[in-house]
Formats: sequence, C-alpha cells, structure tokens
Amino acid sequence: MQDVRLRTAAAVLLCISAFYSIPGAVAAFLWWLIFTGRFAQVKQFRMMLPVAAMIAFFSIVLALTGGDGASYFIRMMVIILIGFWLYTEQKSGEFLRFGVWLLGERAGFELGMMADMGMQTLHLLIHDFHQIRLAETLKGINPLWKTLVPAGFVLVNGTLSRAESTAELMAVRGYRDGGSLCPEFITPKMDILSTGTALCVLIIALIPVSEFFILYR
Amino acid sequence: MRVLLDNTCLSREGWSLSARGIFAEGIHLVSGDTGTGKTTLALMLAGLLPPSSGTVYREGISSLMVSFQFPEYHVTGTTIRDECISWGVDPTAILTAANLRDRLDHSPLKLSRGELKRLHLACVMAREYDLLVLDEPFSSLDCREKERVCIEISHRTTGVTVIFTHEQMQFPRVDYIWEIAHGSLHSRGSIPGAFEVWEHAPEMIKKLIARGKVPENITPSDLLEAACRT
Repeated sequence: MQDVRLRTAAAVLLCISAFYSIPGAVAAFLWWLIFTGRFAQVKQFRMMLPVAAMIAFFSIVLALTGGDGASYFIRMMVIILIGFWLYTEQKSGEFLRFGVWLLGERAGFELGMMADMGMQTLHLLIHDFHQIRLAETLKGINPLWKTLVPAGFVLVNGTLSRAESTAELMAVRGYRDGGSLCPEFITPKMDILSTGTALCVLIIALIPVSEFFILYR
Repeated sequence: MRVLLDNTCLSREGWSLSARGIFAEGIHLVSGDTGTGKTTLALMLAGLLPPSSGTVYREGISSLMVSFQFPEYHVTGTTIRDECISWGVDPTAILTAANLRDRLDHSPLKLSRGELKRLHLACVMAREYDLLVLDEPFSSLDCREKERVCIEISHRTTGVTVIFTHEQMQFPRVDYIWEIAHGSLHSRGSIPGAFEVWEHAPEMIKKLIARGKVPENITPSDLLEAACRT
C-alpha cells in the first residue's frame, strides 16, 4: 500500500479486529495473506521467532492460570504480523507527512517528526545490533545470553549519543517547534479496496457471526 | 596462506560488486570511493557475509579478525581492563601502547571516538592473525596516531593483511594495491608497478610519478625520499 494514511488506518482496524475476537483475528489473518504477500518475508524477519516464543510463554502462563491461552496466542500473533507488515512498508518521511495532514503544521509536524526519528533509530539499532553480533562472533563470545548485556550497553550509549547530537544540531539550526510542509499522497485504487476490506474485517469482528445469517435465528 | 575470490558477486537492490583475485601473504591496500562496497567486501573476505554467487576460499587461514570502522561495535567489557582481557591481551601493555594510562577502570564507552579507536587498534595489533582485515583503520585518528598505526601495520611480516581505506595522506608499507571502481574489484598488482594503473592514487603520488620520481613504497618517508630525489 502506497498511501500511508490508508495503510495506517487499515493496520489500526485490523489490530482492533484481531484483538477483539477469534473470528476477527482469522479474518485479519486472511486479509494479511491476500493483501500483503508477506508470507515469504516472515522467515527473514529475525525477531519473529523470539517474539512468537515470548507470546507462547505468556499464553501458556495464561492457560495454566485458567485463561484462554490459545485464543490469546492466535490474536497476538496476528497483531504481530500486521505490525511487521506496517514496519516493512514504512518509508522515510511518511510519518511526517501523515502527521502534518492529520494534525497540522505544529503538533502534527512535531509528532510526525518524532515518529520518523523513532523509525530511523529503530533501523539504526537493528543495523548496530547486527554489527555487534558479528564483532562478538569474531571475538569468540557466545552464547547469545552472554553477549546481550554488553550489546545493550553499546546500543543504549550509541542511541543516547545520537539523540544528543541530533538535538544539538536542531538547536544550532534554530529549530523551536513545528514547521511547514505540504504533504502529498498517492492513493491507488487497490489501497482503497484494501482499506475497505479491512473495515469489513472489523465489522465481522464486532458483530456476532449469527447476526449475518438471518436463517440461523 | 591466501584468500581466493572465485568469481564472487554481491548484489542487492540495484547495487552490485564483483570480485575475483588472490590475496596472498603480505599487506594489501584496497582503495575506493565511499559507498563502493569496501566494508561489504571486507565482511565477505572474512566469511561474515556470503556472496550472492561465486566462492571465497580461505586457504591455510586458522585465525582471522576484522576491525570495523566504528570501534564501539567491538566493545564487550564494562571497563577498559575487561575490554583488554576480552581480547586476550595484557591491559597494562595495551594502555601504554594506546597512550591511555590511568584509565584501566574507566568505561570504554566513556572514551572519545579517537581514544576508543586507539584502544581497539592496540588490542587488535597485539595479536597475530592469519587474516587481518582492517576497515578504515585511520578514521577518527589524528596525524600522529595514523603514523603510529601505519608503522605497526608495516611491521606485520606474516599472514594476509587487507586494509580498506579512502585515506589519502598516511599509508603503511604495502605489497599490493587493489581498488574498487565501476562495480568491480581490480588488482593493480605489486608496488611499484601498481602506480601506473592506480586510479585512486593520492595526488602526491600521481605528481611524483608524472615527474618520473617513482617512490619505493607509499609510506610518508618513501614519498619524501622520492620528492627530494634529484
């Protein structure tokens, strides 16, 4: 999807649907299969396995304490897939344009810029972590748990240092708040169709299935 | 002991780099503009990045190290002492070599980029590796430190040492010149024959060659000797 407004709206609708009920989660998963074509790329997303393991752990705890662990696992995994899709589709500068379109050139600009900076930081963190793992492999430091603490130190330190440099740079350039921007969006018909379908998914999730079938009554 | 690139190619999203050739024992200098793929090739040589096609053979290489451009990536110790120990080297000797005495119990991440680079290079150079890949070893260093590092690199007599850099002023003694241009790695041969075809040669070397004063090597003293030659 090219239009960040429709993409974000679709993601919000699908996440609410998936969280609300199992039929909603199933419908959102079907939407994800049909409209994103991301199945092949899930294998390449390294965080998928640990995230799935973490959700599985909490699901088991929930099941053992009397909750519906299986339902929780299915719903959360669909939300993760939607989030993964939203993350991979994101392009630099989109949040800024979206923020200005939604909330104007002051609050919208600020929030959009912060969101864009956050995404940029996330990309850099992933790159840095990969480099750190390579360096640790070269040093012969294994297993993974032994490397996490020093890697965490480097990542936090690097992120704070970058944030400080960015803040200083913006202050030097005279930035105070807000900014002017004329956001432009490309909205293909397919984006409208995808978002419309996501809205249908939400309706399926919110309205009981029996409501659809008059004969059932 | 050698690294052989057998028709290797790396490609991703509209960018590609092809490389073939043999990195024999000695010191190799790989030059190229920023963004041409020096770091990528460094990772491939060390086996940290698989090529899209072709094969990298590391023959007779039992130990290897890659020094990344940013020394922070290598930090695993919470103090400088721990950091030196993680490299398997004596902290006192390293701190003396890196001119960082009295900093044993400081956090390595509190050092400036230049100081950390000095510490990192001192740790790397204190050990012998069959294959040593140095990615931009002179970045963040002042002229005096660059000179010191160049001398240390020049003293390496065994193993394969590959230096990736776009440095134009200070160089160690090298045996072979390579360069990355137009999406390919090109071997320019050994020195001094390589000077004739080295596209990324520093201006000073180009001027010396144009005047018929071919330096013996590319260290500052070699260039000075050639410049003063009558």
